[in-house]
Amino acid sequence: MTNLFRQTALVGVLAGLAAPAFAEDINITVWAGGSNDSDSYRIEAIEIAADILEREAAILGEELNITVEGRRDFSGWDEFKQGVTLGAEAGTAPSIVVTSHLDIAPWSTAGYIVPVEDYVDLDAWPLSNVYPNLMEIASYGGTQWGIPQDAESRPFFFWRETLEGIGYTEDQIDALPEMVASGEYTLANVLEDAKKALDMGLIEEGYGFYPRPSNGPDYAQFYQSFGGELVDPDTGKLVLDKAAMTEFYQFFVDAVAAGITRQNHIGTDWNQWYNEVANGRAAFWHGGTWHFGRYAREGNDDFWNTIQFSLIPAGDDDGRANTITHPLVYLVMNQEDDRVEEIAAQLVAIATEPRLNSLHAIQSNHLAVAKAQSDIDLYRGDRWASEATEVLLGAANSQPNHLNYGAFSEAMFRGLEAAWSGVQTPEDAVAEVEAQMRATIGDDLIVR
Amino acid sequence: MTAHPRIWHLVLILSIFSTPLVIMYVYQVIDSIASPDPGSLIPGEIDLSNWRFLWERIDMGRPSIWMVTFNTFIFASTTAFLVTLLSTTAGYALSRLDMPGRPYFLGGLIILHAFPTITLIIAIFIILQFLGLFDTLLGIILVKAALELPFGVWIMKGFYDTVPWEIEMAGVQDGASRFRVWWELVLPQVKPGLAALLIISFLSGWSEFVLPLVLAPGSSTQVLSTYMNAVIQDDASADFGLFKAIGMFYSIPVIVIYLVFQKQLMNIYGGGTKG
Amino acid sequence: MTSRMLGIGFLSPAIISVCIFFLLPVLLTVVFAFTNMSTSTGIMGGDYRINTEQLRSLPDLDVSEATVERLETAGFQITEAGLTALADQFSKDTAEELREDYLGETFESRRDLERVLKDLDEPIRRTRDRKEAADLFAVTLIGERFGTEEEFRAALGTTGIDAVDHDVLTEFAYTGWTWTTDNFSLLMELPSTLRYAANTAFYVVATLTFNILFGLFLAISTFYLPGRLANTFRAIWFLPRILPPVLYVLMWNWFTWDNGFIATVMGWFGVPAKNWMMHTSTHAWTAIVLINGFVGASLGMILFSSAIKAIPTSMLYASEVDGANRWQQVRYIILPQMRWPILFMTSYQTLSLLTSFEYILLATDGGPGRSTEVWALAAFHTALNNYGGNLQYGFGAAYALVLVFIGIALSVAYLRFFNFKELLSKPRIEQ
Repeated sequence: MTNLFRQTALVGVLAGLAAPAFAEDINITVWAGGSNDSDSYRIEAIEIAADILEREAAILGEELNITVEGRRDFSGWDEFKQGVTLGAEAGTAPSIVVTSHLDIAPWSTAGYIVPVEDYVDLDAWPLSNVYPNLMEIASYGGTQWGIPQDAESRPFFFWRETLEGIGYTEDQIDALPEMVASGEYTLANVLEDAKKALDMGLIEEGYGFYPRPSNGPDYAQFYQSFGGELVDPDTGKLVLDKAAMTEFYQFFVDAVAAGITRQNHIGTDWNQWYNEVANGRAAFWHGGTWHFGRYAREGNDDFWNTIQFSLIPAGDDDGRANTITHPLVYLVMNQEDDRVEEIAAQLVAIATEPRLNSLHAIQSNHLAVAKAQSDIDLYRGDRWASEATEVLLGAANSQPNHLNYGAFSEAMFRGLEAAWSGVQTPEDAVAEVEAQMRATIGDDLIVR
Repeated sequence: MTAHPRIWHLVLILSIFSTPLVIMYVYQVIDSIASPDPGSLIPGEIDLSNWRFLWERIDMGRPSIWMVTFNTFIFASTTAFLVTLLSTTAGYALSRLDMPGRPYFLGGLIILHAFPTITLIIAIFIILQFLGLFDTLLGIILVKAALELPFGVWIMKGFYDTVPWEIEMAGVQDGASRFRVWWELVLPQVKPGLAALLIISFLSGWSEFVLPLVLAPGSSTQVLSTYMNAVIQDDASADFGLFKAIGMFYSIPVIVIYLVFQKQLMNIYGGGTKG
Repeated sequence: MTSRMLGIGFLSPAIISVCIFFLLPVLLTVVFAFTNMSTSTGIMGGDYRINTEQLRSLPDLDVSEATVERLETAGFQITEAGLTALADQFSKDTAEELREDYLGETFESRRDLERVLKDLDEPIRRTRDRKEAADLFAVTLIGERFGTEEEFRAALGTTGIDAVDHDVLTEFAYTGWTWTTDNFSLLMELPSTLRYAANTAFYVVATLTFNILFGLFLAISTFYLPGRLANTFRAIWFLPRILPPVLYVLMWNWFTWDNGFIATVMGWFGVPAKNWMMHTSTHAWTAIVLINGFVGASLGMILFSSAIKAIPTSMLYASEVDGANRWQQVRYIILPQMRWPILFMTSYQTLSLLTSFEYILLATDGGPGRSTEVWALAAFHTALNNYGGNLQYGFGAAYALVLVFIGIALSVAYLRFFNFKELLSKPRIEQ
């Protein structure tokens, strides 16, 4: 309570004394979810931006002291989101968060975040240079709430040696991304080839197709592979395509039955998982563009000659090869002091400078958010960044910013878990998902 | 009891059942000081680098271990002190003092004692937030202390119940006030209870995980349980040697207390019955 | 000081803290269970707003077409009133310039108008000011947040919405939580409810059975062992009880994971490595029951041991003289004495198992495939902890409320059963 009083008083003082020589102290806290050491520039870029803003202010004769305090030691997305949400309710939220764009819909509705468009000029550099589709992903309900912090996409990976072992020539492997994109090479072929590799003893049981071991946007890709649509473009409602969902679950059940995927795969330790896929224990798997750097740290420093990557293959003729881009965004959180929000938004804008953002993009193997970044040597010189952009980003779509998407994706994954681990048949699982979605999403859902 | 020739049967069965636990304990210690050697059970060379978290930050995004340890200590000791203080007075009131509604207090106490506390955490959050204590050590201290109270009061009431009435009668007949009687005559009689309750609440605070996880997510209020969990969950490193070293560090006070107070602990858990 | 005053003084600190952090939460849980409170509604009430996303579902509402159209197209209009305000708050020159070029014009979005303000010869330079200036011309209320109902209704009036539609729109625009009983119908409807209930029942019964049987075994067997040996075993089995859960479960994780102890040992016999905790739901349940069971069995061991010690040794000697073998001794002398401790343990642990989820959260987190998701964990996941960050406080509270009811009912039943009156011997000093 005293804190509140003091802050109100401070605002009053600030408003009353708009004297030029007034030294202003601003504390900015930045929380970044899902970040480890290689993502340190999510916070450090804000620190650099603070330095720049202080200098700009100094030139104008104002003394501005910005203290940036960062935090990224959360044990997972669950804890991070819980912390931010409860903090926002309690008025102790950080000034800036780096989080999934999917949080924009619920958090803006709850009033936890403020629109960046209120504080910074979207038509001016550097925000005018950000890819418009990424800006679109960071907006909701006609308002620009956030600024994209990074871009990525989620490719399908192949272990070259295993493919060669089952009879592919090097040229054929090189042509795989195109075959996947055109729909010639589908998930059915993945099953077939993985089985072949298993039968020939090139891989162990359970290591034919080795998916991500925890919930994530990745699984929506397989729903799309079988023709599922996440959102209806006309009405903006979420879509449960039962046929696509059933086939999507069935694919994982088939993979288990064929012995190429483990029934208890979900929950595999991430470190073990990285280590195994980076060193060729799995034939097929999927991941994200940032895995490139991780594989090197796991001891595979010859990515280009050991691993091939492509879009996620189509599941059948109804579906399409696709990939989901799931940009993280900078969001400015509602604060008692409007001035903090304003400074925070300006820092976010400065941190989007191509040079600053490239630091993060290259260090963590993410993709650029702004066009000008491809002119920066650091970024241009990176083979992975440029090739991944070329192969993947053109066909990438994102998950919808929808108030109920969280419930949708949660239900979808639970259904998958139940079918995959053999607790339910795909049909039963989909029926339960439908019941769950109808109950929790209601009018915002279209069932096909 | 009398020795029995076939006692080794029992020992054998017990040993078989105890093996998993013993293996866990042994490797908990070994792995924390030996270089990890996955796929083999023979420990590698002695390697203290697992303990590096003590002198450097294992990850720049994390608070220093010493601050976290300090937080944990403050959390556990203040909680223990509060619980003991309030239970000592309340237990006496319930055991010895005649006042209106005593049966209801006792009945309520028993119901609370066996009550699903953790399911109330959402509501507790709202209250903390209203008090401005969300994400503060003081907040989780108050909550933890309140949740431990029914147990503490119950224990203390049990200890007071065993103090002979004659002691108090004598004091009162000498003209001392009930307060003085309590302070000078009764309290010394329940000293073992005080000590036991202090130890148990300290241990319980030291181990607490869910409350700090939900109610104090900030980095300045991390305690060892949430710190250790965050290190384990972090997908950048599956370093069981490091985890176990942190675990060793975390459990030092527990082990020390256990070794020193083993007997008393067994007694109170037996008599006090907290599940 | 009278003993009554002293009693109240002694008791009140405890009562106050229990009320604030114990009873009040119970009441609040009841209240929340009847709301649709979630991340997006917030906890502390809401605002009023209609955004472009919501515009799409306007036709589903019971409002006239004219209203829908008016809401969609109102936009920002350059009016004399707005210009006067602009001249007052910003600059006369800017207002004058705007009047000359744009009077009467309508802009669909604020951004269009802001661009105009920026490109004037006398522009408004700061983004923040431009936004405020543009708001002076707002006719539309799309995308604006209003803190109170009055403000929102006033804005509806300004936009020129037919008054009949105000009520519907106000309700539609409210972002805060509302009262509802949907949580309970949802609980009835969802197939998962029954599964979680069944999981919980299995978990409680299996763990409890293990606790009691194994606790008894430990107590009786250590009773017959020579002192030092018995103490060693007691120490081994007592540790799980006081080790921090995070560490205790870590040891289990190490024991069972893919490169862990079991996998390594089984590997010697050619069994392929697998995660022995998460392989199938049977594995997971076994692990969960053992993890909880080892902790619970140590409580059982302590309780039962002290009960055995209370048996007069003469009885045991007498039975040996009578030629009873050990099994008969256990069967006819020790076990009958264990009835009350077992009953106590059962009632006490049923409650704590029903509501505890810490070990499951740390070990399997309800997996694989939600097969070890118990009721309390489901409440925690629903209300506070899931990947989507979609925290449904109201629905979670409904889950919790069910446990609260079971908890109260069981405790009251136990109170009767264990003869509450006995605890209530009257204080003797007052007589």
